Order: sequence, then C-alpha cells, then structure tokens
Amino acid sequence: MSELRADDLHMRYDDLEVLRGVTFTVEPGQVKVIIGPSGSGKSTLLRCLALLEEPESGEVSLEGRRPQPGEIGMVFQRFNLFQNMTALQNVMCGLVEVRRLPKREAREQATEFLARVGLADKAGQYPDELSGGQQQRVAMARALVMRPKAMLFDEPTSALDVELVREVLDVMESLAREGMTMVVVSHELRFAHHVASSVLMMDEGRIVEEAPPDEFFASPKEERTKRFLSLVE
Amino acid sequence: MLAGFSTHIFWEALSSGPFWRGALLALELTIFSFLVAIVLGFFLAIGRSSKSRTVRGGVFFYTWIFRATPTLLQLLFVWDALPQIWGVFRQGWFTPFLAAAVALSLNEAAYMAEIVRSGLLSVDPGQELAGRALGMSRARILRQIIVPQAVRIVIPPMGNEFITLLKLTSLASVISVTELLTAAQNFYSTTFSYAEAFAAAALYYLVIVSVLMVIQSWLEKKFTWTSRGRRRRTTAPVPAISHDAR
Repeated sequence: MSELRADDLHMRYDDLEVLRGVTFTVEPGQVKVIIGPSGSGKSTLLRCLALLEEPESGEVSLEGRRPQPGEIGMVFQRFNLFQNMTALQNVMCGLVEVRRLPKREAREQATEFLARVGLADKAGQYPDELSGGQQQRVAMARALVMRPKAMLFDEPTSALDVELVREVLDVMESLAREGMTMVVVSHELRFAHHVASSVLMMDEGRIVEEAPPDEFFASPKEERTKRFLSLVE
Repeated sequence: MLAGFSTHIFWEALSSGPFWRGALLALELTIFSFLVAIVLGFFLAIGRSSKSRTVRGGVFFYTWIFRATPTLLQLLFVWDALPQIWGVFRQGWFTPFLAAAVALSLNEAAYMAEIVRSGLLSVDPGQELAGRALGMSRARILRQIIVPQAVRIVIPPMGNEFITLLKLTSLASVISVTELLTAAQNFYSTTFSYAEAFAAAALYYLVIVSVLMVIQSWLEKKFTWTSRGRRRRTTAPVPAISHDAR
C-alpha cells in the first residue's frame, strides 16, 4: 500500500507563510492534480513531499513511514537534466550513485527506460542537443528508473513550446494508466479532466477545495476556485 | 638590421643550459604552485559559504592578507622572515625553490578561491536539486555534477591565473631561485649583452604561454557537453577577476 500523506504541513520563508496547514492523502494509483495561482504554495508542497525541503512542522509519510531516498520521483519544470551527462548517463546516474548498481546493469535498465519514453535513439545525446519535450521525457525516465512508489510533477509542461506539450503528457497519461501514484502541479486542465482522480485548488498556502474532476470543473463550490477557473479557461 | 643586436649571441643564450634549465624551473614552480593553489582555493571557496562564522572569518582574513600585500613581500617574508621566527626553516631542506613554491601557492590560492567560488555558483541550482531528488549525497552531487560543470566555467580565468603565476616566478630571482630571469642576469653580467639575454628569456615565456593556450582551448572543447565535440553555445564566461598588480 503506497499511500503518500502530507500531514498538517507548515512552512514559512522569513515572514512569508507559504504553507498554512496542508493535509492530504494520495491513495495508491491515484493521480492528484493541483492547481492554483503562483505563490499559492503548490511548488513548496511538492518540494516538501520530495523531501527537498524540510517543513517547519508537519510530516510527510509514505506507507506510514518517512520515504527513503529515491522512493519518490520528482520531475521539474525546467527538466534539470545533468548538463555534463548524456541522456543515458542521466538515467543511469541514480542507479549507480544511489543504488550502487554495477555500471553494466545500470546501463541495461537505463536503456530500457529510455525506450519506454521513446528516446532509445537519443541515448548518446547531451541535454543541450535535445528539445524541451525530449529533455523532459529523459527527466521522467531518470526518475522512473529508480522504481519510485510515487511520482511528483512540478509544472512539467509549462516551460515547453506548445507543440511539445503533448509528448510529455502522453508519457504521463500512460504512467497513470499503469497505476502510478502521482501528484501533478499543472494548469493543463484537459489533462486534469481526463486523468486526475481528483483536482485540488490551492490558495495562500491552503487547500481550498478538492473534488473529482467532473464535479470540480462543472460545479466548483468555492468562490476562489470559480474565480481562478474563469481566468484560466 | 639591428645594429647592436647579435643573432649569434641570442642563439647562444637561447640554447645555453642555464636558460633551458631556468625555463624548466619556472615551469615547475608554476605548475606546482598552480596545483596546490587549486586545492587550497577549493577549500577556501567551500569555507566561504560555511555555516560557521569562524570559518568564514578565517577565509576572509586569509584572502585579505594575501591580496592586500605585494607578492614580492610575501616571497621575501617566507624566505627571510620565517627562518628568523622558526628554527625549523633554518635547515637545509628549506630551499629557495620550496620557499618560492610556498609563497606563490599561498598567494595564488587567495585568487583561486574567488574563481572556484564563482564557478561553483554559476552552476544552475536546479542541478543540485535534481541530484537531491534522486537521493544523492551532497559529496556525490558535488563530485559528479557540480564540479565537472564548474570546470568548464573556470578554465578561462584559470588560464589567466596560470600565465600570471608563470610571470610571477620571475620574482623568485630575488631569493636566488635560478629561474629564467636569473639566467638572463647571469648571462649579461659577464657578456653585457642585455638585449640578447632578455630576448632569449622572453622567447621562453612566449613559448610556454603559447603551449598553454593550445592546452586551454583543448580543455574548453573537452568540457563542452555535446556528442559531436563541436561547440554549440557557450555559457557566458565568468569575467576574469580584475587583475591587481601583484
């Protein structure tokens, strides 16, 4: 049972309260899409879940305990592929440096995962030589090869040219269909509509509303959600 | 032709043992001090962003001392004053070469620290974040991701430092290190052929720096991450630190 929980997370940067008590649970195989204005705390929440930041108070747990390194995969808005490594080396990195697999075995697995995101032929290319969409797919392979129990996506398509968004969303959709537990911060509302188990609205460090996508988009209850949706759509 | 300049004497100086050995000594002194300075500078750079106030203060003090005083003074201090203060330096192992190497290494480290620091800072913070998200330790992130990327950035300013250091070795002539300038001085003190002696020494410096420039451009290509080995776009270089006369 890989349920991912955030329990009453609080976080502040200096005087700014970024998270004001966020609690939510992602059941195994669920996909939660978080929307909200910039500065609402979405990214900070994701970083807390990925253990990239330590919340001031509150806890993050996976299956009732603290997640181990590599158990929660993270995909960033700006891909953050290691610039000094080829696509294949990027995907191998976690296996070699964290899991301590022998290079040969790591290479085999990495090759397999690159193929899964449709980039087997780009193994020897450096990030600079790949399009944004390709880079983001390599970044997904890099996280997935660690066999994470949950995947977090921080606006994975918002740095992409419009025509490259689709290829990234396709990989995410197939991942969701395979039953991956996912938390996605994104304003791709069509994706949210099709794929999400539920959609969350965040504002000023709180979860304002959470509902299944049909309900969320058709009849949002909160005034704040209505206002936001009317601006985004 | 040049009336007073004897090509014959110039060639004689150029091919003489003292010049050849002097050039080699200058090069050895440069390479040694350069390598020590990189290591020292790396730790100074890390220390500058330490959480401990004492460490940060220490690094500041070090940089301040070595940048605010003339290199010649530091050289003389190491060679003449250290033996006066501590007896151990009065023994035979403390050669002029070693004294010069110590002074130049310590001096260069102060400048190197700034270069290393700017190099480390120029690497996109997203790189470290991605490493941490994979569960990599800080040391591994530094070694596998940050340092290799910083290397590319610091190659040009470090090339400058190497050249500066090479030229600074001529200062060591004052503490009887028989480097190039000493060779030139010894040559003209008997022959009075100043022009030929200095020209010969200059030519050696020129050759060393030219070779360095070739190595530098090779390194810059090597640390540009493209599969085809050609330069696509380079990140904006870190501006070389304005050179205070040392």
